[in-house]
Amino acid sequence: MDNLEDMKIVAEQWWKQGIEFVQQIPPPQLYTAIGVLLLATIWLLSIRLFRRTKSNTVLLCGLSGSGKTTLFFQLRDGSSHQGAVTSMEPNEGTFVLHNENNTKKGKIKPIHLVDVPGHSRLRSKLEEYLPRAAVVVFVVDALEFLPNIRAASEYLYDILTNASVVKNKIPVLLCCNKTDKVTAHTKEFIRKQMEKEIEKLRVSRSAISTADIANDFTLGIEGEVFSFSHCQNKVTVAEASGLTGETDQVQEFIREHVKP
Amino acid sequence: MLEQLLIFTRGGLILWTCKEIGNALKGSPIDTLIRSCLLEERSGAVSFNYDAPGAAYTLKWTFHNDLGLVFVAVYQRILHLLYVDDLLSMVKQSFSEIYDPKRMSYDDFDETFRQLRIEAEARAEELRKTKQVGKPVSSVKKQGQVSKAGLEGGNKRVSEGGSKKDDGDGNKAKVSTLTNGHSNGNHQMEDDSQETDLANGKENTSCNVAVDLSKLQKLRSKGVRGRGGVRKTDSIGNKSSKVAAAEPAKKATKKNRVWDDAAPKQSKLDFTDSVDDNGNNDHVDIVAADQGESMMDKEEVFSSDSESEDDDEPGSDEKPAEAKKKGWFSSVFQSITGKANLEKTDLGPALKALKERLMTKNVAEEIAEKLCESVEASLEGKKLSSFTRISSTVQAAMEDALVRILTPRRSIDILRDVHAAKEQRKPYVVVFVGVNGVGKSTNLAKVAYWLQQHKVSVMMAACDTFRSGAVEQLRTHARRLQIPIFEKGYEKDPAVVAKEAIQEATRNGSDVVLVDTAGRMQDNEPLMRALSKLINLNQPDLVLFVGEALVGNDAVDQLSKFNQKLSDLSTSGNPRLIDGILLTKFDTIDDKVGAALSMVYISGSPVMFVGCGQSYTDLKKLNVKAIVKTLLK
Repeated sequence: MDNLEDMKIVAEQWWKQGIEFVQQIPPPQLYTAIGVLLLATIWLLSIRLFRRTKSNTVLLCGLSGSGKTTLFFQLRDGSSHQGAVTSMEPNEGTFVLHNENNTKKGKIKPIHLVDVPGHSRLRSKLEEYLPRAAVVVFVVDALEFLPNIRAASEYLYDILTNASVVKNKIPVLLCCNKTDKVTAHTKEFIRKQMEKEIEKLRVSRSAISTADIANDFTLGIEGEVFSFSHCQNKVTVAEASGLTGETDQVQEFIREHVKP
Repeated sequence: MLEQLLIFTRGGLILWTCKEIGNALKGSPIDTLIRSCLLEERSGAVSFNYDAPGAAYTLKWTFHNDLGLVFVAVYQRILHLLYVDDLLSMVKQSFSEIYDPKRMSYDDFDETFRQLRIEAEARAEELRKTKQVGKPVSSVKKQGQVSKAGLEGGNKRVSEGGSKKDDGDGNKAKVSTLTNGHSNGNHQMEDDSQETDLANGKENTSCNVAVDLSKLQKLRSKGVRGRGGVRKTDSIGNKSSKVAAAEPAKKATKKNRVWDDAAPKQSKLDFTDSVDDNGNNDHVDIVAADQGESMMDKEEVFSSDSESEDDDEPGSDEKPAEAKKKGWFSSVFQSITGKANLEKTDLGPALKALKERLMTKNVAEEIAEKLCESVEASLEGKKLSSFTRISSTVQAAMEDALVRILTPRRSIDILRDVHAAKEQRKPYVVVFVGVNGVGKSTNLAKVAYWLQQHKVSVMMAACDTFRSGAVEQLRTHARRLQIPIFEKGYEKDPAVVAKEAIQEATRNGSDVVLVDTAGRMQDNEPLMRALSKLINLNQPDLVLFVGEALVGNDAVDQLSKFNQKLSDLSTSGNPRLIDGILLTKFDTIDDKVGAALSMVYISGSPVMFVGCGQSYTDLKKLNVKAIVKTLLK
């Protein structure tokens, strides 16, 4: 009891001292001090708020001609309209996936889908979007797979060793497009071939001196043949067809990793 | 008749195609147009020719930069349709009225298009008739005036006699009145040949001088061209006419190098059995074996200061609220000042200043011109973003374009290619070509050193059998680097020497063969033929053009001639062209780095190495951002 009363008295004394001190400060200074404090707290709060909202950006990338733009419009509108040509600029949009629009499940968070052009001269656009991506969908042409396998594997390797992807453990979906055609390869085949090619890349890129490595990180485990399970971020394979609208696997993947 | 007319967005979605004309296009002309023309910053050119098995198309296009739309018309090359440009601009106008970013299908546009097409065709018919009426009039000048009077105004260009300068849209008059050669339709152009685009671009710039001067010269001299040759193909003819206009200081034809029949003391030239200086042998070997890391492997450190201080464009969407506020205020501001869309007249002075700046940095004049045209085409009609001046918008667009050009189109990872060739158990063959004195042998040694550092076994082939001392030079390098060299002395056929060198390499398991060739001028017909033979016979994996950074406008000529000769004289269906560029003597230029840009633009091949000194370690990669920064400083 005594301690409590003592503490009360001490607190009251401090309080009085504080008020006296405050009253001594001339008003303009006081106001500016309060103003600065307020601003600082607001700023800090807003930054924290911004950081806390998890990004909902989905990146569609892949070689030129793999069907990204078609897939983009398929996901957005449910139809690929009249076809697409080689993109010169990225296609961006924030929307709810078309299929989900029909099934009313309550409030669905829209996703920000970005279709980055695949042409090698526009490769630098990818660098702009990668840091903010939550998910990367790497589209591969399952029809013309073998002629382009080297370029595709190099692109995928560059993505998997990119600093943002590794640090943020961004999940990657290897989407095999154009599976509606009869001669398209299966996703297992594509997966194995890509793993083989990346293994070759890994060997040749790590055989050169340390300063020459253009990539920020190396992939896989030393001494073992590369497999997608070695990546720290999750890499899955799926099939899709942009023209006919079979994009269920892709949508599942997106839903899984972009938390509503 | 028109084969197809497409409207698509810059993001790639097709908004409308003409459904009346049902023909499917053979091949993929639109994709090729985008890849080899619009993305290569050649959008200032007037038309694009596409050849597919079974069809030969010409494509014309126009942009609506504000809405981000592209309008492309495709038609058969043999028909010289006069109304295409007119039709394209009318379509652009009427479509932009009904365009809505949310709408994806525009079926109601069919009707409008049909009417527009009928109108355009009718107008073209009229035009042709008035031209034919005007012909029988005697004097050339009068004809020009009559046809001028008979025209409906707008984009018509009168080429004969009085040259009325016009903003390059009107090709129709030109096509109908010019007889041959200068019209776009006659050019035999493959996808990769850049030359005709050059000729086109030059002829169709807003200054008509090129065409008129050449016509006058033709009238005057009856077919004697500046290059003094019989007019072999249209493209060469055009090139010379263009050159005649652009460089009135005529270059005399190079005298053919005469191989002396007296063969002066052949034995003296053959030093294969000479006595080596034994004294310093081992010393030299050990010292040269390891001079440290090649600069290829060092990371280039450069300061990344702000690219343009005044540029206020909010690139990231971090503060969307602020950007929105800016947008509203600036639109209010701009509505007060009244200028919203960029016009050609606005862009004119800014582009001119940029072009001057590029030229002071040693970019070839025509390249700077074409680049400026392309940037103009991409900015015209665009809305100025908030709080940016015209000059900064133009600068940003130019910077974008430059980065795009200098970024390689394919991967230039040579080590990977070497490994790929190793798996197939064949040696990876690199041939160094170029004009005299650019540094082929020196840089060949540097590349060999670099490859050696990466545990690749290299072999040199001395196919420069003409220049005295060439074989010795390579032998010295080989001794210092301790790599095998294949040589057969002088006065031997380089193609055969190369072939035997490759066989030797396969036998002893070398990974890479570096073939040194003699320097030759691009006009020297027999030497170019010999080079073509070497390349055809041996089918190398990489044809590396060595060019010095000091070269000025001649870079354009060198590269285009080399490419042209290689494709003309090739025996197989797929001609091997120049695959990469090695830029040498980079340390001798401070900031006049324009030669890199000219070479990359004209040939489309990437710069794989940059030589910046005379020792083995002075070989590095091209730093695109640093070069762009230097060019626009």
